[in-house]
Amino acid sequence: MLPWGERWGEVRKLLERPGPFTHPDFEPSPDTLKMLQENMKVLVIGAGGLGCELLKDLALMGFTKLHVIDMDTIDLSNLNRQFLFRKKDIGESKAKVAAEFVNHRVKGCHVTYYYNKIQDFGEDFYRSFHLVVCGLDSIVARRWINGMLLSLLCYEDGMLEQNSVIPLVDGGTEGFKGNARVVLPGLTACIECTLDLFPPQVNFPLCTIAHTPRLPEHCIEYVRILLWPKENPFSSETAIDGDDPQHINWIFEKAQKRAAEYGISGVTYRLTQGVVKRIIPAVASTNAVIAAACATEAFKLATSACTPMNNYFVFNDTDGIYTYTYEQEKKEDCVACSQVPQELEMKLSDKLQDVITTLAESLQYQMKKPGLTAMIAGKTKSLYLHSPASIEEKLRPNLKKTIEELGLQDGMELAVADVTSPNTVLFRIKIKT
Amino acid sequence: MKNQKKDGTDAPKQGTQKRASAAQLRITKDINELTLPKTCDTEFPDPDDLLTFKLIICPDEGFYRGGRFVFSFKVGPNYPHEPPKVKCETMVYHPNIDLEGNVCLNILREDWKPVLTINSIVYGLQYLFLEPNPEDPLNKEAAEVLQNNRRLFEQNVVKTMKGGYIGNVYFDRCLK
Amino acid sequence: MESSGGTPSCELTDKAKKYDRQLRLWGDHGQVALESGHVCLINASASGTETLKSLVLPGLGSVTIIDDTKVTPQDVGNNFFVESESVGSARGEVTLRLLLELNPEVRGTFVEQPLTEILDNQPDFFTPFSCVVATCLPECTLLTLSKVLWEAKIPLVVVRTYGMIGYLRVQMEEHTVVESHPDNEMPDLRLDRPFPALQKYIDSLDLDSMDHREHSHVPYVVILYKVLQRWIQEHGAAPASYKERKAFAEMVREGMREKESGRGDTIEENFEEGIKAVNTALLPTTIPSVVQSILNEASSITPSPTTKPFWIMARALHEFITSEGRGALPVRGTIPDMTADSEKYIKVQNLYREQAAQDADWVLRRVQEHSQQLGPRKVISSLESSVKTFCKNAHALRVIKGKSIAEEYKGSINLSEIGSHLENPDSELVWYVMLRAVDQFQSEFRAYPGYFQDQVETDIVRLKVCVNKLLADWGCGPIIKDDFIHEMCRYGAAEVHSVAAYMGGCAAHEVIKVVTGQYVPVNHTHIYSAITATSATFSL
Repeated sequence: MLPWGERWGEVRKLLERPGPFTHPDFEPSPDTLKMLQENMKVLVIGAGGLGCELLKDLALMGFTKLHVIDMDTIDLSNLNRQFLFRKKDIGESKAKVAAEFVNHRVKGCHVTYYYNKIQDFGEDFYRSFHLVVCGLDSIVARRWINGMLLSLLCYEDGMLEQNSVIPLVDGGTEGFKGNARVVLPGLTACIECTLDLFPPQVNFPLCTIAHTPRLPEHCIEYVRILLWPKENPFSSETAIDGDDPQHINWIFEKAQKRAAEYGISGVTYRLTQGVVKRIIPAVASTNAVIAAACATEAFKLATSACTPMNNYFVFNDTDGIYTYTYEQEKKEDCVACSQVPQELEMKLSDKLQDVITTLAESLQYQMKKPGLTAMIAGKTKSLYLHSPASIEEKLRPNLKKTIEELGLQDGMELAVADVTSPNTVLFRIKIKT
Repeated sequence: MKNQKKDGTDAPKQGTQKRASAAQLRITKDINELTLPKTCDTEFPDPDDLLTFKLIICPDEGFYRGGRFVFSFKVGPNYPHEPPKVKCETMVYHPNIDLEGNVCLNILREDWKPVLTINSIVYGLQYLFLEPNPEDPLNKEAAEVLQNNRRLFEQNVVKTMKGGYIGNVYFDRCLK
Repeated sequence: MESSGGTPSCELTDKAKKYDRQLRLWGDHGQVALESGHVCLINASASGTETLKSLVLPGLGSVTIIDDTKVTPQDVGNNFFVESESVGSARGEVTLRLLLELNPEVRGTFVEQPLTEILDNQPDFFTPFSCVVATCLPECTLLTLSKVLWEAKIPLVVVRTYGMIGYLRVQMEEHTVVESHPDNEMPDLRLDRPFPALQKYIDSLDLDSMDHREHSHVPYVVILYKVLQRWIQEHGAAPASYKERKAFAEMVREGMREKESGRGDTIEENFEEGIKAVNTALLPTTIPSVVQSILNEASSITPSPTTKPFWIMARALHEFITSEGRGALPVRGTIPDMTADSEKYIKVQNLYREQAAQDADWVLRRVQEHSQQLGPRKVISSLESSVKTFCKNAHALRVIKGKSIAEEYKGSINLSEIGSHLENPDSELVWYVMLRAVDQFQSEFRAYPGYFQDQVETDIVRLKVCVNKLLADWGCGPIIKDDFIHEMCRYGAAEVHSVAAYMGGCAAHEVIKVVTGQYVPVNHTHIYSAITATSATFSL
């Protein structure tokens, strides 16, 4: 046998040799590669610019049980970077084509795909993974998966159970800039802690759009926001479809006309499409870099062959190559991750009013005007809110209902809002018998 | 991590989450702590859905005294990173509200910040009726009248609230 | 790239759609440059194919792969552009085929000949390439290659993955950049030296006689200019210190009108913007020192038929500054957005634009004179738009003067840079030293340290000798901790995929910078540590 000459030789050097920069848990052993291939289950969210790269990177780092979710289909404008797709695949599910390509190219790798929204799946699904790696362009989706992983945390006597922590590795890119981060839900800064890092959406003042345009963007937004619903160029109730060239063309021509009226230059078809679809520029190289940084962290987390980075990495290769790695701090009052759901004891026969009285009168809580909602079968239910009057009236009858009548059960979570705390607080219902 | 067994089923089940989203938790707090001025009221068609509701403003002073104006609020899943979408459902002759119900209020768009609340928007909207701003108009005609002839503007507002024409635009009656 | 034809309908071509997300960054002209690029890759290792991947996808013109090896099982393990069935086949052929699948518009060839043979027997082999990317070369071959390319003035990008460490080296004698796309640009408003048209227009406006609507819709450039005039009258010079700028901002605030209806909390947004802009808008109009040194160099050049258009334009720019421009660069012609009514903003914007066009025109005429003197054949293609772009970017021009790898290795390495970085225990420079040391180890022992499992321990001792010898040559003490030596031996020259993918992405963009002449390339060595997810750039 050739020394180290077989397929996984490169990765095995890292896994089977000791080193000074490994995680304290690390034990060099051939079993680690086996574990990576046979046990470790990784979920990749998104099969786009980052997702395609992630699947390739993880497959070639030795992961074999990969799962990928993406609700999108392949578009021509993906092909400049989403390298697992070809022209013939346009219109097909990204998750499907990406999974099949990687399975074909990397023998032994098994990617399972879901042509779905992440919201289609519940706790049991997400709990089945060791690691989640995200390559998303949506803040909503990031916040959702962050919330999901946080809700999977288990506490025993207020102490976090380590094995309920599913690490989240998240990457994002825009043009030549990107970032990668490692989130240990409940332990380190989460997506919600650092929500301000996402740039706010650009919204121009409506009055500027309506009457004092100065920029070509103002003219395009005028047509999109004000003119389209008034003129309904493609029969009423037809919403703007940024992928329909006829729609873009209509907006483009009207915007051009408006720009000419005001002497504004610079309205082009490309700009029109960019504004209407809020297009973020993207290149292959940045996606490759950021996905690779994420895959490296996933490998470290899975194998302990190196300590994970701490914990936020930014990249920009416009002027030379600039990177900066620093620790994002956990926000003490983060609405999502500062929550350690406390147990709240109640009997099935207790009335909602009793629970509220407890929250107000117990020395521990001393709440003033607690408002309560619950999650029942995946839907939020308002139990009682103090204001405004219209909703208070509607919910008042609930005060006299019992816990049982309200459909509350052991283990469910109650969200309680009160002026005494900066955020809504979570409680886990414990039914006394 | 390597010692954990994760033998969950590969076939996903329809999602049920036991925890409310961050947007949901935040709106719960906003609503529970809403302190409406006496000129304002809300309507929640479904009290379990705090993300969709209406705000009714009945100004008791200013040009619009005696009127009743309905605004629809739609709070998205990216709240409070993004502002709620607010539209005026009552046709109103107002410099900062156009005939399609678009509202020009800075905190609804360019000046929105996540620290702002539903309460901030309620007060902002209420203020629009007390102090219409003709300098940054949406309804330019109304703004010009307000700027050049306050008396005429006042008359126009009264006329439209009773139900009537300004030029060839008909305004539905919206008196309380 | 929008389809031509008489109708205003401008639906995009398929190609424009495919490349849409990148055309928004480097523009149609950047794409044209990329499509005329021809890149040569030496060794289709994981780092090599990952580099080519991010060049083929965006539509580089053509690629040539030089590789005389056969696909091994290790390649199957770390290289996405080989298949299990390809073990034993020519690696250049296999990787080229699988890479070209990514984009039918890219052409490619492979050469299955040892690089050393090419270097020995085909001196002109590299002439057609716009850039050469090299991976996995032993030190002596790298030095020969770098010498050949340096002399031929062909840019060389060396990319390397060694365990958790990445190395990227860009070797170019000179690289000029017009469109550097700086991230945070200061506006060019010329408040301290208004051009006549701007001055005339602003003087024609009387803020006091404006009604409220107009007053709250005057672009802040007008407001600041007027306040500045008053300030200068009172103080003799523009505000310079922080304290003065604060007082100036207060003076701007005083000009703001209270809303007459009395509720009083409505502010004039244009004034607010102006106050916020005081710090940047009032900066004196200057020539950045980087640009100044480019101009100095340009002024000392005697244009010849081989002078690059960049330098001819820089020379004309220098002439503009010393005459027409009265010490300043041409007006940039773009201004930030400002709360204003359409008419005044657009008027002001057009004043800046027209002045910019006028300034660029002056430079253009001077460039034409220079080119004519160089003979009829020396015509710069699309001269007018080139000069326009040049003038618009005059404040952000960049020139990189590189150093050859031979000079760095065998001549004068930057010892002070090495010394100062090695004093910092967290500096990535330590990995540079380690990479140099493993190369010396390899030239001595014909294998990299830790390559063979049973020799890791002995190699640690040997590598330490190499490291200390290197340090001694540079006049440094044995200051590198053993940890780094152990870690290097642990890697045994492993090319780990995710690190190779990271480096490939970086290298590809450096090639794009070289080929398009946009953005600023690394000068000259970039080191990445995947251990800490940190990186640094060194000029050694």
